Amino acid sequence: MISTSNLSKAYNGVTVLNIENLDIPKGQSFGLVGNNGAGKTTYFSLLLDLIQPTTGHIKSKNILVNESEDWKPFTSSFIDESFLIGYLTAEEYFYFIGELRGQNKGDVDALVAQFEDFFHDEILAKKKYLRDLSKGNQKKAGIVAALIGNPEVIILDEPFANLDPTTQIRLKQIIKDLAQKQGVTVLVSSHDLLHVTDVCERIVVLEKGEIVKDLATSEATLKELEQHFAG
Amino acid sequence: MIKHFLNLEWKQFRRASYFQKGIAIKILLFLAVLYFGGIAIFMGGILFFGLEKTFPDIDPIVMVNNYLIYWILFELMIRYFMQQLPVMNIKPLMIIPIKRNSVIHYLLGKTILSFFNFISVLLFIPFSVVLLVKGYPVVNVILWFFALMCITMSINFLNFLINKSNTVFYVIATAVIAIVTLRYFNIFDITEPAGKIFNGLYNHPYLAIIPLLIMLGLYKANFNFIRKGFYLDGAISKKIKEVNATDLSWMDRFGSVAPFLKNDIKMITRNARPKQVVMMSFFFLFYGLFFFTQKIYIEEMPYLLGFASIFITGGFLLSFGQLVPSWDSEYYKLLMSQNIPYRQYLESKWYLMVFAVIVAFILSTPYLYFGVDIYLIIAAGALFNIGLNTFITLFGGALNRVPIELDTKAKAFSNTNGFNPTQLLIALPKMVLPIIIFFIPYHFFNFNAGLIALALSGVIGMVFKNFFLNKIEQVYQKGKYKTIAAFSEKK
Repeated sequence: MISTSNLSKAYNGVTVLNIENLDIPKGQSFGLVGNNGAGKTTYFSLLLDLIQPTTGHIKSKNILVNESEDWKPFTSSFIDESFLIGYLTAEEYFYFIGELRGQNKGDVDALVAQFEDFFHDEILAKKKYLRDLSKGNQKKAGIVAALIGNPEVIILDEPFANLDPTTQIRLKQIIKDLAQKQGVTVLVSSHDLLHVTDVCERIVVLEKGEIVKDLATSEATLKELEQHFAG
Repeated sequence: MIKHFLNLEWKQFRRASYFQKGIAIKILLFLAVLYFGGIAIFMGGILFFGLEKTFPDIDPIVMVNNYLIYWILFELMIRYFMQQLPVMNIKPLMIIPIKRNSVIHYLLGKTILSFFNFISVLLFIPFSVVLLVKGYPVVNVILWFFALMCITMSINFLNFLINKSNTVFYVIATAVIAIVTLRYFNIFDITEPAGKIFNGLYNHPYLAIIPLLIMLGLYKANFNFIRKGFYLDGAISKKIKEVNATDLSWMDRFGSVAPFLKNDIKMITRNARPKQVVMMSFFFLFYGLFFFTQKIYIEEMPYLLGFASIFITGGFLLSFGQLVPSWDSEYYKLLMSQNIPYRQYLESKWYLMVFAVIVAFILSTPYLYFGVDIYLIIAAGALFNIGLNTFITLFGGALNRVPIELDTKAKAFSNTNGFNPTQLLIALPKMVLPIIIFFIPYHFFNFNAGLIALALSGVIGMVFKNFFLNKIEQVYQKGKYKTIAAFSEKK
């Protein structure tokens, strides 16, 4: 589904990301871990064509993301708060995204209704603008908006950060379902090793822009990761 | 303690974004400040002689006092819409061991240095100096000036309360509306009693104690207000407004552009900064009065009228349009990674500007008073605005990469958003082009030929709409990464 080759990104001669080869098959739940500055967000930004690669390229469904825009209809993402439109209510935001992705009001309502317990009654019908919601609630709205319109690739940067424990557990279930039942390719980054090992079939560890580990998740993975980061 | 505050203030000043700009901008800003300061000083100086000449029977000081109330109301209104409150910076100071009182005194003291206070100072110092030179009694003039300064400061503090407390806002707003309505229907004219009060201030200088007391009272009220609310959820918190959801589904008839159009309407109605722009564009409507009231323009230089007409209908177009991608800077990454064709995004902005021009044109109907020719030239200017100016402005916007904080009022003079040399170069054709298009046929044929040429240029522009939009789209595409990077920079 997503293949990366010879990808690098440098700012003023300092390389921040350098990935020779990385293939992510369709329907995989893929986790990216690494300390601050490891290059997780840089990789996601390259994947969304928000920054330009210094060398190499990423292909999504055989489309070169930095040359064509045809990957946009089947890709959705939530990276940070700049993906929210602060002056809209959550509903208006969902409908707006829905309209962009060719979904009518009914479609959006039906999808959003599935997440009622994920929202925990704090998002919908609150008569509040997104900018006035708490960080955690903003994140919930952003994540659900990324699910609108049957995307085939979903990219979530640190989806667990700022969420309360109940929501974290629910989100894990949502992500698992997406990959296993609907065949969606889900890319997640996180600082929480426990969450990623719970959710992802495959975990890649980045360090200073390079891939240092590429693991198929098993019983031993969490231990291995903890050891890696402790050392 | 004060030393630390001043140090922080100095750093904030030195490191503010407008000091990081190029030298050219600094010079331009400096000139702008000089210009406006100069105008104020000049107006203040010339006011006396102007009044003396126009109303030879009335003492200029009496005349000024009679109409001072309107100046005060005007200042209050301008401040309400433009002046930014200095509150947000106290958050980091709250947990540091500094006495709350000194923070509050400092905060309020800081507002004294606001640009808006200097308008009055610059205006009334020269006027008072002229009075003194003309031999008016020294004590009266000085204490009158002192009283005016107290009033200015009172407005300064009052504005703070109006902004922070709904009750004060409604009381003041009702009073102002009542005054204006009563005057309009000739029921009660505030001018006379107000004039008496201000003349009283001048004739009995010891009364200057009253404005002084008012000022101190308002200062105290502000102090108490902040003191009471010196908590995160108190006075310094942003007001959380209830959503005013209006049904915009009727706009769906605009097809693929509709989602953006609906979003833009919400953006404008729900954020402080775009609201400010809409208000400014309303003032542009009156721009024509400068020109159409002067015979010299109508008889000798009618081509300059084309220039004026551009501004009458183009206020919104110019002030909103030049910041086009910046309005969406807060969520630009979303737009760039969503399923959005740039084309529709631009087209929706274009429709918005066209709509604004049409509304402004309808509102400009009273200009018929100056004759059909004037009205026709406004119509031709509107066509030029729709057909050409929209595209020039959108093109200029593509070169502008300054992020905007939507829900923060722009500060006077510290706001250089969208102010760069390229922008200025782009601004030139917007101003000069209509003059040239009008002037050439006017020079060789007559007034009507100029009119037709100006109108025709707009129509031609509309015919080539797709071509222009394609070209502009390419410029936007090319600058995409730079724009994203610039918009995600911290302010």
